[in-house]
Amino acid sequence: MNRTHQTLLGLLFVGCFGCRNGGEEAAGPLPVEPLTDLVVEKVAEDLSKPDPDAAFWGKVRAGWVTLAAQPFITPRPEATTTDRVTVQAAHDGKHIALRLRWKDSEISHAGRLGEFSDAVAMQFPLKGGAEPPSVMMGAAGNPVHIFHWRAQYQRDAIEGKPEMTALYPNAQVDMYPMDFKDAKGGTQEQKEKFSPGMAVGNPQSYPKNGVDEIVAEGFSTSAVQEGHGSAGLGVWRDGEWTVVLVRSLTPEGGSNLAPGTKSHVGFAVWQGGKAEVGSRKSVTMQWTPVTVQ
Amino acid sequence: MPKVKNWQLARDIEYPYDESRPKKQWAIVFDLNKCIACQTCTLACKTTWTSGKGQEYMFWNNVETKPWGGYPLAWDLRILEKLGRQDWSANGEYLGKTLIEAAPPTERVLHFAPTDEDWMYPNVGEDDSGGLPSLDGGAHMASLPHDQWFFYLPRTCAHCTYPACLAACPRKAIYKREEDGVVLIDQERCKGYGECVRACPYKKSMYNPYTRTSEKCIGCYPAVEEGIQPQCVVNCIGKIRVMGFINPPWKARKDNPVDYLVHEKQIALPYYPQLGLEPNIYYIPPLNADREYLKQMFGPNVEGALQRYRELSSDPVAQGLLCLMGSSDKIINRFEVKEGRATGFDRDDKEIVTVPVTEEIFVRDAFDEKLEVVRHNTP
Repeated sequence: MNRTHQTLLGLLFVGCFGCRNGGEEAAGPLPVEPLTDLVVEKVAEDLSKPDPDAAFWGKVRAGWVTLAAQPFITPRPEATTTDRVTVQAAHDGKHIALRLRWKDSEISHAGRLGEFSDAVAMQFPLKGGAEPPSVMMGAAGNPVHIFHWRAQYQRDAIEGKPEMTALYPNAQVDMYPMDFKDAKGGTQEQKEKFSPGMAVGNPQSYPKNGVDEIVAEGFSTSAVQEGHGSAGLGVWRDGEWTVVLVRSLTPEGGSNLAPGTKSHVGFAVWQGGKAEVGSRKSVTMQWTPVTVQ
Repeated sequence: MPKVKNWQLARDIEYPYDESRPKKQWAIVFDLNKCIACQTCTLACKTTWTSGKGQEYMFWNNVETKPWGGYPLAWDLRILEKLGRQDWSANGEYLGKTLIEAAPPTERVLHFAPTDEDWMYPNVGEDDSGGLPSLDGGAHMASLPHDQWFFYLPRTCAHCTYPACLAACPRKAIYKREEDGVVLIDQERCKGYGECVRACPYKKSMYNPYTRTSEKCIGCYPAVEEGIQPQCVVNCIGKIRVMGFINPPWKARKDNPVDYLVHEKQIALPYYPQLGLEPNIYYIPPLNADREYLKQMFGPNVEGALQRYRELSSDPVAQGLLCLMGSSDKIINRFEVKEGRATGFDRDDKEIVTVPVTEEIFVRDAFDEKLEVVRHNTP
C-alpha cells in the first residue's frame, strides 16, 4: 500500500474514532463456552470500517479460545500472559470483521527504547483445502495469511507516525542532515537516506495504517505484503482491549473466505507492557474451524 | 545444539548454527596504553553514520573510562553479574559457561535488556579512578600497576565469530558476511523486536525508534571493500589502532599485522572472551591498571601480554609494526621490517607506506647563520 493510501485510511480512522459513541452498554454478552467452531453470519451493517463499539456486536455469538505462551521456538515467554481471547465474527458480503477481546492491565504503545506495543494477530491458511498448514505460522509451500494489529500502528493511523520530538520532548537536537529550520532542506528522498530502514524501503519504518498484512511459511519467515484494504481499530478500557479487525472476504491472492467457504483461524496476542514482541507472545495452539455463511 | 570451535576459550562451545568461518575476518587491535579518550573516533563514526533521526543517542564507536564508565550504563557489570563467577583452567582453557550455554530454556542467549535511561549517559564515569579509596599522603605512581588507576576503553562492534545478536534474532535478519566477517542487520528484514539489543553483551546493537529497526556498527564495510580502514581507525589521532583481517591461530601469518600482535607476539587480547562470542576487537592491556580487573576483562593471558609488551623495546619488528599503526589509511595485508624501516603492503602486495622504526634526530643551531635570525624552538 502506498503512503497516500495509508494517510487516507488514517483520516478515515480519525473520523471513525471521533464519531464513536460511548457504547459500553453495546458490548456483547459474556461468553459462556469455549469456541470450537467459528460460524460467521451475515449482518446488514456495513463492516468496511472497524467499530469495536457498534451496537450489533451485542447480538453476535461470542466464544473464547485458549492461548498459551508460545512454546515452539526461543526466545519465548516464561509464562502465559494472555490465556484467552474472546472472539466474535460477522460479515457483510464483502468484508469480514472479527472482534477480539483480551485482558491487559496496562496500555502500551511502544515508541521509545525498550518499549513494546500491545498487539494481536489472526492467521488464516492462504490456500484452500480441508487440512490447514502447521498452526506455527504455516510451513514451507503452505503459507498463512496474517493480519497483525498493533496499538503502535493504530496510533500512527490516528495521530501520524511520531517524530522524535514527540517521543522525547525534552531532547535537544540542533539539526538533522538535509533538514533545516531556517532554510530550504533536501527532498524527502534525500532526508530518508539518513534513515536506513526507510532508505531501503522497509515497511516497518513508514507510517502504518493500523494493520499489517503478512504472509509466512513458518517461524522466522514472515514478510509484510501489499495490503488488501484490511483495517483495525481497538479501544482499551478497564484493563481490556477490544479490537476489531476487518478484512476482505476474497482478497486477490489472499486467504479466501467467500460465503460458503470453510477455513481455519488462529490467534496471537502480545502484551507490550510485559516486553512481549516477536516470538515472545501468547498463541492459540490449534486451529479453530471457520464457516462463512 | 552444534558445537563450534572457539580458540579464545581453548575449547568447543555451543552455538545455534554450525561453525562457518568467513574467508577473512575483520578485526581491530587497540593499544590501550596510548588512548587519551579524545573521542575523535567517536565523532568520526558519528558524523559518518549516525546523524539521522532516531540515531541521536547512538555511538557505534564509543570510548569509556574503566572501571566506572560504561555505555549503556554498566553494560559489562550487569552481564557479568548475571553470568556469575566462572573460572579458567591453569592452561588457559575456559571452564565456565558462555552466554549461550548459560541461557535459560526460554532464551537463546543469557542477557540483560537495557532501558531507555541506560542509554542517557554516554560518558558517565569519565576520568573517575578505581583503586584505593583515599590518597592520604599523596599518590605514589612510581610502580606499576598504580594504586589509583583508570584507563580508556574505545569500543566498536566486535564483529564476533559467533555473534549473540545473530543467534538471538528470531527473524534471521542478521548475517555475517562471508567475504570479511562483518556482521550486519538486514535493514529490509528487521522488524525492530530488539532481540539483538537484548542479546549483544557488548550492547553494540541499538534500536532506532524512528525507523523502528535495530542498527549497529557496519565495520565501515564500504571502505573496507576498497582496502581502506574504518573511520574510527583512520581518524585516531593517537594512532592507537590498526584494522586488518585476523586468521584463527592455526592459519596465523607472522607478516599479517593483526595476526602478529594477537597470535605471534600475543600482546593483544580479546575483551570478555569468557562470554563466548569470539569477539574480534583486540586490546593491548594498559600497564597501569589493576591486574585482577584486567584478568576479568581480558582473560588469563594478561600478565604474559603485559610482560611481552614491556619487552618490545628490544624487538625491532614489533616496534616497526607499532610505527605503522596510523601511518596509512589503507588496510595493511602484510608488513616487513628491514634495516630500521617498516613497510606495509596492500592486498595486491603493493607498497602502501614505509616509516622509520626510530625517527631520525636533526639538531639545528639556535642561530641561523644564513638568514641571520634566531630560530624558535617550535617544530
